[in-house]
Parts: sequence; structure tokens; C-alpha cells
Amino acid sequence: MVSDLHYWSRLKNNRAGLAGLIIVVSFFLLAVGVWAGLLGQGWSAAGGERWAPPGAEAWFGTNLLGQDIFQRSVFSVRTAFEIGLIVSILSTALGAALGAIAGWYGKSWVDGTVLWLAGVLDSIPFYLFVAAVAFALQGKPWAMQIAMIATFWTATGRLVRAEVMKLKTREFVLSARAIGLPDLLILSRHVLPNTLHILLIQISITFVAAIKTEVILSFLGLGVQDGVSWGLMLAESTQEVLAGHFNNFLAASIMLFALLMGFNLFSDALQDAFDPKQAAL
Amino acid sequence: MHYALNKLAYGGLLILGVTLVSFSLMVWFGPDQTYTLIGKNASAEQIAEVRQQLGYDQPFAMRYGRFLVDLVTLNLGASNSSGEQVYSILKKTIPVTLALMIPGFILGNLLGIALGLLATYKKDQWIDRLITGLSVTGMSISFLVVIIFLQVLMCTPYGLNLFPVRGWQVTDLASYLHYVTVPTLSLVIIALGYNTRFYRAVFVEEAGKDHIRTAKAYGASPVTILWRHVLKNSMVPIITRFMFSIPLIVISGSLLIESYFGIPGIGKVTFDAITSGDQPVLKAIVGLTAVAFILIQIATDFIYKLVDPRIA
Repeated sequence: MVSDLHYWSRLKNNRAGLAGLIIVVSFFLLAVGVWAGLLGQGWSAAGGERWAPPGAEAWFGTNLLGQDIFQRSVFSVRTAFEIGLIVSILSTALGAALGAIAGWYGKSWVDGTVLWLAGVLDSIPFYLFVAAVAFALQGKPWAMQIAMIATFWTATGRLVRAEVMKLKTREFVLSARAIGLPDLLILSRHVLPNTLHILLIQISITFVAAIKTEVILSFLGLGVQDGVSWGLMLAESTQEVLAGHFNNFLAASIMLFALLMGFNLFSDALQDAFDPKQAAL
Repeated sequence: MHYALNKLAYGGLLILGVTLVSFSLMVWFGPDQTYTLIGKNASAEQIAEVRQQLGYDQPFAMRYGRFLVDLVTLNLGASNSSGEQVYSILKKTIPVTLALMIPGFILGNLLGIALGLLATYKKDQWIDRLITGLSVTGMSISFLVVIIFLQVLMCTPYGLNLFPVRGWQVTDLASYLHYVTVPTLSLVIIALGYNTRFYRAVFVEEAGKDHIRTAKAYGASPVTILWRHVLKNSMVPIITRFMFSIPLIVISGSLLIESYFGIPGIGKVTFDAITSGDQPVLKAIVGLTAVAFILIQIATDFIYKLVDPRIA
């Protein structure tokens, strides 16, 4: 068993990964600023000059409705973290729970049912699934998040299932069974903590997927219903760019790219740190 | 034979699951269609009649059964918004989508494989690092951003202004190239980051195996090793990725590209059906694409056996 310190030192020596972590933390601080009511509060105020150039008044200029693009793109950081955190944590938790149960009762009807469910969800084209969920929920604002959580867990579920099947035959688990601990206790106390590295990596991968998906869904009209997000800003900008106004497009796409790049670099470094064999290949 | 039967049985179970999910979401829990069909001021008898036609008075199992029979017999009904038969809409739009998506899909995979091989050949040298770095960059750019950027760059006076901003008036090869170029470029750019990274990982793993070391020891040239040993032994993951991304690219990709460029393919139809809540169209598309995906999965299993004799 390698110690946690060992992982940290490998992570610390990965310069790209550290840069990614710094980017993600900076964005998170921006989100905290918005939550605390310090930043981006003027995101919806209209009435300024339409398509004003960047200046002291509006740092990145204004959009079609005269709204301040800087305020909007900063407020969208909060939207991104709210969607990303809720979807990545809940879908990973769901995947961990279902994957652990399937792996523990491997090759039984429980396992078969979980695998079947994952197979079914993976077989439905995602955007259509969201449309169907939005249809069933009749325009409730949570349709997007529910659809993402309901489908994103399958990858985590398969990984955790495979890991639990391996862990099940290890001595510490056999000993726990031998002294008669209940299954649920062994799973939660001894087995799942040993899959934490998988869960951490999956959280960071699904965070990226959630934010990218939000952009497409908001453009399709299935995403963020109230508030503002980079996806909504990009959707607005599709009209503006044809008239030669690029500020909205640039602000949203650069912020979006920076956060995604930060997360991608960080999750790469996580994978390298936890799985040096894969990294060395 | 036993293997084939197992696969078919599992495929059948998946189809049942997928249709069950789409039926539950879109018909059982979906919005009540009664008033969309007969308007607000209908008499009680009219309402009862329409509800009976729609099958609302039937139990869940009966309605699900009818949904399945309709799908199997391609009895898909008519669109709520245009009144056109869903079957004829599909027949008209699917060829457009295929013509639109196939070049980008194939190019994106071939380029990904080529770059993956190059990175493997030059592993840990600057060219490998460049390719890996560009892949991560590509993975961090949103599909929508790529489309907007390319449209401005290629199709407007703010850029090169060489291609049409939107539309699809294809009559011959020249007009086809005129309309397909920008969508193809966006597809390639968006898929290349993920593809290159995936194929590189596959090739690098294969190149680390013992049989490659043996081939090197026998003095085989790098090209022979990459082509005959690495690429050929990586056929299973390549085929898996290729086949499994078909539904993703064709449905999700065309949804965005066609609605953005105003191209009358299946993606545009889906987009319009989503925004207007056109239930018969959505039902047909979700049901049929899911079934198609499962058929692809089954087909993939058979292709494995053709390319890799180790798979029993």
C-alpha cells in the first residue's frame, strides 16, 4: 500500500497538473465571490447602450440588450460550479453505490440488473434523453441536472464494480467477513474507501462533461432556465457575431475554455498520480 | 452459435429497456395530448373519444405494447406540427444527415489514428508532447464555440467569406462540397482531440508488449512494426470506438450542426420537435435511434470475430 503522501508528491511534481489546480481554484474563488454577493451582481440589469465597446463602465462591453458582459460572464462562473458540483458529486455517488452493490453481489441477478440498466441508459442518445426528461418534467428547471445525473453515473458504476470485484477477494475483506461484519458495513467502511481514487478522478471528469453539456443544452433551449450561463451567452452571441459583435462570444468562450482546460489538466495529473502504470505507458 | 444467441438475447433485453424508458418518459409521464389535438372548447364526448383514440384509458402494459407494435411496424403516426407522416419525414431527412456527417466522421477518426501512430512512434519527444498538448486543448473547447468560430471565419465578411452561412442547396458535387466543408471541419476539430488521445493510449499500450520487442529484436523497421503489429493488434479498440461513436456523432452532432447551419436533416427535425414538443416525431426518433444503437452493438461483436481470431 502506498501512502497518501506519495500521491501528493507525485501530483506536486506535475507542473501542468498544478497549473490546472490553480486555474480551478481561482475560478472557484470567483464563484464564492458571486455566492457571497460581491461579484457579478449586475448581470441582469439592462438599459445600458447596446453593443457598447469595452470601457470603464462595462469592462468587456455590453450585449444586444445593453447588459454588462463582464458581470454576466463572472456570474456564469457560479452557474457553472453549481451545475458541475451537483452533477459530478451526485452522479459519482450514484455510480459508486450501484457499482459497489453490483460488484459485491457479482454475477447474480443484482449485478445483471445494474449492468442492464447501465446498458439501457448508454443506448439512448444523450440529448434525446434530456429532451425526453424535460418533456416528462414539463419545463421544470431541474430537468437538465436530473438527466445528467441519471446518465453520467454509468461510467463510474462500471469502474467501481470492477474494482470492488477485485477488492472482494483481498484478505482484509475476507477477514471482515470471517468475523461476521454485515455486508453493508464492510462495503462502506472497508471497500468503498479503497475506491476513492476512482471517485475523485470521475468527479473531475464528470464536472467537465457537465459544463460542456450545459452549453449545448442551453443553446438547444433545454438548459439553464433562469439566470445566466456561458451556454446562454454563447446562444445569444450566435446572432451577434453575424452582425460583427464578438465581445459576448469571446468573453464566454475564453472563460469556458480556461475552466475546462484547468479541469482537464488537473484530472490528467490525478490519473497519473494514482495510476502511474497507465501514465508510464 | 451459443455466443451469438446470448448476444441476441441481451440485445433484445436492451431494446426492451430502452423502449420502456422512452415510453415512460415521453408517453406515460409526458404531457397530455388531448387538447393539442382538439382545441380548448371541446365537448365531454369529443374529449372522451380523443382520449380513447390516444389510448389514455388503457393500462400501462397495454399502451407500452401498442407503442412497441407501432415501432416495429414503422407505424409512426403524423407530426403534430406539420401533419406530415413521421415515416416520410425520416425517409427524406436521414440521407441528408448521412451525407453531412459521414465525411467529418471518417476524417476525424483517420486523422486521430494517424496522429496517434505518429505520437507513439515519437513517444516522449517534442512532437508527442505537442500532439498530446493539442489534444487536451481540443478537449477543452466547446462544440458550440468551434461552430460559431468557424462560421465567422469561413462564412462571413469578418473572415474569409468563402462558404454559405447556412442552408443546404445540394444538387451536384460542387454544391455538396460548398455546403459540407464548414460542418465537416467543425466535426473533425471537435472529435480530433478525443480521438487522438484515445488512439495514442491504445497504440502506446500495444507498443509496450513483448511481441513488439521481439519484432524489434528481429530488426523489423518502425513502419512495419507500427503498421503490421501495433495497428493490426489494436483493431478491436479501434472498431469499438468507431462503431460506438456512430450514434453519438450522428444524433448529437447533427442536432447541433443542423440546427445551427439550418440544414434539413434528422438533427434539425429533432431540434424542431424538441422546441415545439412534437411528441410523435420525438417518440419515433428516440425509439429508432436506440434500437439502431443496439443493432450496432450486436454488429460490432460480430466484426470483432472477423478481425481478431482470439475472440471466441
